[in-house]
Parts: sequence; C-alpha cells; structure tokens
Amino acid sequence: MTRNAEAALLVGAASVAAFGVALVNLARGDGLDAQVALTFVVMIASFGGLHLAIRQWSPEASTYLLPLAAILTAIGFVEVYRLDRGLASLQRWWLLIATALAVSLLLAMRRTGLAPLRRYRYVFLLSGLLLLLLPLLPTDWSFPLRGFEQNGSRLWIRFQAGPLRLQFQPGEIAKLVLAAFLASYLSERQAVLGVQTRPLGRYRLPELRQLAPLVIAWAASFVVLIYQRDLGASLLLFALFIAMLYAATGRGIYLTTGGLLFGAGGVAAWLSFPHVQRRVSAWLDPFGDYADTGYQIAQSLFAFGSGSLSGSGLGLGAPDRIPNAATDFIFAAVGEELGLAGSVAVIATFALLVAVGFGISLRSRDTFRKLLAGGLAFVLGLQTFLIIAGVMRLLPLTGITLPFMSYGGSSLVANFLLLALLARISHEERA
Amino acid sequence: MNQPVRRLAAALFLAFAVLILDVTYLQVVAGPRYRDDARNPRVIASRTGKERGLILSADEQILAQSVADPDDPQRFNRVYPEGELYAHLIGFSSLNFGDDGLELAYADELRSKRDLTVSDLLSALLGGDLRPKSLQLTINHGLQQVAYSALGNQRGSVVAIRPDTGEVLAMVSKPSFDPNLFLGADAIATRELLLADPSEPLANRSTNRTYPPGSTFKVIVTAAAIESGVAGPDTLLPDPVELELPGTSEVIRNYDRQTCGDGTQVTLQTAFRRSCNTVFAELGLLLGAEALTMEAETFGFNQDTPFELPVLNSFFPQPAEFSNDLPALAQSAIGQRDVRATPLEMALVAAAIANDGIIMEPSLVSHIFDAEGGAISENEPALLQRAVSPSSADIISDLMERVVASGTGTRATVPNVRVAGKTGTAETGVGPPHVWFIGFAPVEQPTIALAVLIESGGEAGENATGGSVAAPIAQEILAYWVRTNG
Repeated sequence: MTRNAEAALLVGAASVAAFGVALVNLARGDGLDAQVALTFVVMIASFGGLHLAIRQWSPEASTYLLPLAAILTAIGFVEVYRLDRGLASLQRWWLLIATALAVSLLLAMRRTGLAPLRRYRYVFLLSGLLLLLLPLLPTDWSFPLRGFEQNGSRLWIRFQAGPLRLQFQPGEIAKLVLAAFLASYLSERQAVLGVQTRPLGRYRLPELRQLAPLVIAWAASFVVLIYQRDLGASLLLFALFIAMLYAATGRGIYLTTGGLLFGAGGVAAWLSFPHVQRRVSAWLDPFGDYADTGYQIAQSLFAFGSGSLSGSGLGLGAPDRIPNAATDFIFAAVGEELGLAGSVAVIATFALLVAVGFGISLRSRDTFRKLLAGGLAFVLGLQTFLIIAGVMRLLPLTGITLPFMSYGGSSLVANFLLLALLARISHEERA
Repeated sequence: MNQPVRRLAAALFLAFAVLILDVTYLQVVAGPRYRDDARNPRVIASRTGKERGLILSADEQILAQSVADPDDPQRFNRVYPEGELYAHLIGFSSLNFGDDGLELAYADELRSKRDLTVSDLLSALLGGDLRPKSLQLTINHGLQQVAYSALGNQRGSVVAIRPDTGEVLAMVSKPSFDPNLFLGADAIATRELLLADPSEPLANRSTNRTYPPGSTFKVIVTAAAIESGVAGPDTLLPDPVELELPGTSEVIRNYDRQTCGDGTQVTLQTAFRRSCNTVFAELGLLLGAEALTMEAETFGFNQDTPFELPVLNSFFPQPAEFSNDLPALAQSAIGQRDVRATPLEMALVAAAIANDGIIMEPSLVSHIFDAEGGAISENEPALLQRAVSPSSADIISDLMERVVASGTGTRATVPNVRVAGKTGTAETGVGPPHVWFIGFAPVEQPTIALAVLIESGGEAGENATGGSVAAPIAQEILAYWVRTNG
C-alpha cells in the first residue's frame, strides 16, 4: 500500500468520525453544528500530522498501522461524543496532544533511530519504575503533583496549578518504557538466558541468576497490585514481561512459572481486596446482586443484547445507562449502537492492528527490534482482549482502557506513542 | 526466535476469535433475553417518559395526554384527566405493568417512534412521521358521564351504540379504578389491592364478563319464531301457569306465578310484553334446538366480535347438547341455564333490531390524527352481519315498543320519545338476579341502542327486576341522549 493510499484511508477515518458526529446530532434532535466540522478538522490535523511525520522521518514504515488506529480512534470518538460531549471535546485535545507527542517521538528518533532506547536501558528501567510509583505520591501535600485513587485503584496522578488540572495514568507510559528496557536487556542476554540450565530432577531450570529479571518483573507487578490495588494494570505489566521473556528464550517454563505466579497473586488479591472480590462475584453472577455489584456488568449485557445484529444506530441506544461507558465500557456502547456488525468489525480491526505489529516483529532481523515490536503488539492485543472480555463477562472486569477508543488522555498518548515506536521499527527494518 | 513470537501471536488471535464467538453469542443468541429483561432500562424507557398521543372523546374532551415533566422537559408523564370514567376503555400505559386497553390496542400509533428500531428509522428516511399520533373516540363524553353516574354504586355495565354505524357512544363498567394510580410510585401496591378486591374493579364488565341474558334473550327467540314462520305477533300460544319440564320434576313459572294472559292461550305480542317464561319456554321447545342455536349465532353468539378491545365470546350451546336434554332447551329459550352474553353483545342485539336487522361492527375509535392534527384515517362503518330481515326487525321493534309503553319496561319511558326495549331478570342460582334492560330510541329513526346490566340486583337485591332496576337507568341515558342529540 502506498503512502497516498494511507492518506486516503486517513481522510476516510476522519470522515467516519465527522459523519458519526453528524448522525449522533441528528438522532438526538440537534441540528448539524460546528462539532461536525471541528471533529473532521481535528482528526485530519492529528492523523495528517502523524502521517506527514512518518513520510518525513520514517518513510519506510508500514502503511497499515496508522489507518487501522485511525478508524478505531474515529469510532471510539463518535461513541465518546455520543455519551458525553464534554469528554469528547477533551478527547479532541488529548488526540491532538497524543499525536503531537507521537510526531515528536518520530522527530527525536529521526537520526538516532531506536538506538538510545537500547543504550540507556537502565534509565528506562528506572523511569519506568518511577512512573509506576508516581500514583503513590500523597494526595494532600502542597506540591501540585499528587496521586489519587479512583474506583478502588490508585493509578492516577493529578497536576493542579490554579484552575489548570490535569489527570494522568503514568502506568500507561510505564508499560512502553519497561517494554523498551526489556527488549534491550533481553536482546543482549538472550543467548545466556536460553541456554544455561540447572537440573532439578527431570526438569532443567535456568540459572537462578538468570531468573532475576523475571523476579524483578513479578515484584514490580506485585507492587502495582499491592499498593495500587489494580489487577488489570498489574496483569498487563506482568504478562508483558513474561511474554517478552518467552519470546527471547522460547522457553515454555517462563510461561508456566509466570502463569502460576500470577495465579497466586490473583488469589492473594481476591483474598485481600474487597473491590476485587466484588468484581469476581459480579462476574460469576451479575444478576445475583443486580442493584449493587452486578449493576455495571448487567447494564453492559443489556446494551449488547439490545444492540442485536444491526444495532440501535448512533445516538439512538441508551449506552449512557452503563456506568463508566465512555472509558472502560466503550465497547458495550459500540455493541449497542452499531450492533454485532460494529462489534465484530472493531474486534477484527484490533486483530489486524495486532497482526501488523507481530508482522513487524517477525520480519525484524534485529533481535532488539523483534522483541520490542513483539512486546508492544502483544501488550496492545492483550489489553484489548482483557477489557473486551471483561465488558462481555467472559472474564472478570479489569479497569483498563480499550486502546484508541476509550476516553482518556493517558491511554491515547500511550497508544499513539506505541504506534510511533512500531512505525519506527518497521522503518528501520526496511531502510 | 520467530517461533515463540508466532506462538504469542497465535494465542492472541485465538483469544480474538473467542471474543468474536462470544460477542456473537451475546448479541444474537442470548441477546433477546437481555434485550427484553424487565430490568433493562431500555425496556422501561420505551414505556415511560416518551411522549404519547392524545386520546379525545367524540366531543373533544381530553381523555389521555402526555404532559412534560416539570423537572425534566424531555420526559413526559401520562395523565388520564377523567380517571375512573374511562379506565376500562383507555386502560393505561404503565412502567410496571405495560399497556392495557386502547393504550395497548393502539400502542403503535400512540407511541413516539423516535425510538430504537431500525424499521422506524427506515420509515423516517422515507418521509414517515416519527411523532405520536392521536386518537379520537366515538364515545360521547356527556353520555359516558350520565351512564357512569346512573349506575351509581352498583356493579354493572352500560354499553350504548349508534345502531346505523356501530359507533360506541358510551361504555361503562363499574366498579372502576383510577388508571393514574398505575403510573405513580405506589403502582404495585395499588394493583395488589385492586386484584384482591372481590368486586373486581379491574374487570371490564362490558366486554370481558358474560352473564345469563335472561328474558332479554326472548328478542332472539321471537326473531327465530318470526323468521321461521312458526309464530307472528298475533299467533296464539299455550299459556299455562307453570310448565313442567319434560322428564324432570322441575317447573318453569312466570315471574308472578300467574298465567300470562287471561286464559289458556295468549298472543306472542302479550307474552313478549309481559315477558312470560312459560310461553317462551314452550315456544323454544316448539322451535327446536337447531333453530335457536342458529338464530343466536346470527345475532353474534359463539362468534368473535371484531372490536378494538378484547371481547369474550357470548355463548349459546350447540344443538347436539340439547338432544337428550329438553329441559335445558326450555331454560335456554328464556336466557337461563348455560346461555351467557356480554353487555356489548346484548347492546348489539338491540342495535340489530333498531337498524333494520343489520348488525354494524362496533367501534371505539373514529379518527386517527397525525401530530399536525390532520386526520390520517377515519373509521368507516362496516357491516358485521345481518341478524334478521327488515320486516322481522320491524315487527320485533313494535313488540319492544309495547314493552316500554305498557309492559315490563315502562320505567324506561322518556316523555315524547318512542322508546323500545326488553327487560331481563336472570336467576343466578346463588344470590340476587342479574338484571338487564336492552333497547333503543327513537323508534322511528333510532340514534341509540343500549344494554344496561346490574350485577346481583344492585341495591335492590333479591327484589330486583330488569324493569325496576335496569330500566330507570336506561331511561336516564336515553333521555339525555335524545335531549342533546335529538
């Protein structure tokens, strides 16, 4: 696919967003207003800016990445707009910021490429851990940067200076930074980790020393789990480490050990945190405690059921009945208003995006790039799977966002940075 | 190193495939269950808060309307300004119990289509109007009020019909209930109370309860006699004091335990005027089961009645059921035993005689208007069936006029108006009789036919007769109608 075709698809995605906003307006009985044009302009500016940056600084990058992300962003934005216009106008700002940051990242890497990520890996490890710990900043000190808690999880920081108030989930960025660290660390030690073994009965275990990164990963995730009490973010982080370790070594033992460790952590979390217990019982029997714990997931099921094959149409359903519809439950809103047609299309688009990511990884001849692309594709896919499975009650709900679609600045920024990294990796491989 | 990456990718694609299967299950297989769950706010919202169309009486009294909620102008509250007066006709559109009455029958017209369905959207794209439509009823508000108050505190029903069109002019069932209470916060408790009430306020007695028609059924027996040529008004019939029912020790007596006329024979005319059971029981035996069943069915018994509200079928047994049971046939001929009729059916019987033997399809809704007030559809009078020939109808009309002039129905007399009627006092076996009056006016050009039923004798109890209890109520209603529309 040529760059021009990519540009055409981006215009298409922006049109989808503008057309969707127009439909929502009409369905709600409002006329067409500036929102339609504003949405189109912001989408064109965001995607167009990123597109030009790729043309300029990573011309060999895959042409599939940006259009897939753009259409997901467009559909997500229309649903956010439909649910809450205030959030939608914030989301437009976040989209501009996220794509601007992605452009900056491409600009920063134009000469050096990914080399600094590789070289300064311990800086990234440290900053990653720091980002993870930021929400533990006191809520009530005089410093304008504070941590705070929401829905039982302490994942947020808030910057407050006068009337200006910004909220951010640093964990979203930490994922990328730690993926970069792991790709760098593992690509160097890969040979060692994979080969040296110590026998234990019939099994051959890696040297204890070689297990250190695994332990660090587990500890970091556990910190997130214990202090921030969030199962979803912790699972994502841990699964990223395990998956990259497995990708680097090809040793299934990491997967099984990791699975066991996470299982143990999950059980421990279930035993100690009431909000985890609530989520599990809501998952097992949402209608058993309909009025309380089961309410949110039951509303989600009602939304999917009401959507049926073709959906209610944009603006014509009632996804606003689902608590947190614009963030965690955006996929239920898609299911209701766009029906099975829309929900399957969204899942398929995510699958394609993840496939493009893995394709970049598989085509990479360089181990670092291979691991980084694979890790990023994996964490994107897993996050998508976990939240979609959660809102459909296939798995217990974890409070994470649906990439590109949910309302939320941290999520948008993190995912567009992820996209820029994948673009740069694919460029370097072909250039 | 590609192998593990491929495996990770494969695992994720497997997970995505599971997602697609699950979302298909959720939206298609399990979907309807969640969609229709009573707790689904969409189910609730589709019933409440949306604007619904107006319902007006023929004289443009507002009977149901949607009023914008003062706290939230986007939401509408359904209001029934006339409350109990129209409860059984209009029903209600309730959050808790769904729709009932005309609110249910015309749910599709009355609801706003700014709603959920694809077909609504398609129709909007094709230029359809999404706004709710309004109904105008055939009911005359003044007449409805008169009928409602004429029944007083007695359990019963009044059905008044325009004979030449089938338009229902009044339809009252008592006791009634306030449909507004079904919309409020105490809806569930209110319904429990009403369901537990032994006087059955929720039942629409006009259409959904059947009663033995008693002597009002003699109109049909007379029609059978005249149509078959077995007897005319002046035919002399045997006139015993009591009629021993063949093969049993039971007897049929006249109401006053006397003969009907002055001697051993009496004309059909006199027997009809005085409502003599012995004469009509014998006449029934003479006509035979075949003829009676056929005649009852041409008047609408055992038939579905096309109507906007559900109607219970009135019942007359099939001839085979009488083959070994002549007493039953004799008792059926005076509207007892297993014969059952709704007040609506008996009003149609009166209307048939008034309309030269033709029963018009009864109707409650005359016009449907769009939101601009333009009529979309108008109810055209439709012929339901011919009950008797015009000449037979003439003869029976004359017989019925004599009932009111100098028979059992004198208390239905309206000064300066020719009123025709027939009384009925139906024994129930337990407790006081159900009493009836059916009739029409003015005889020369009838504009109203009606049936009045009082359950269990009303306030008169054991002593109640159709002539003493039901006829005066009919009188009030007919007098009002002729005065305001004569």
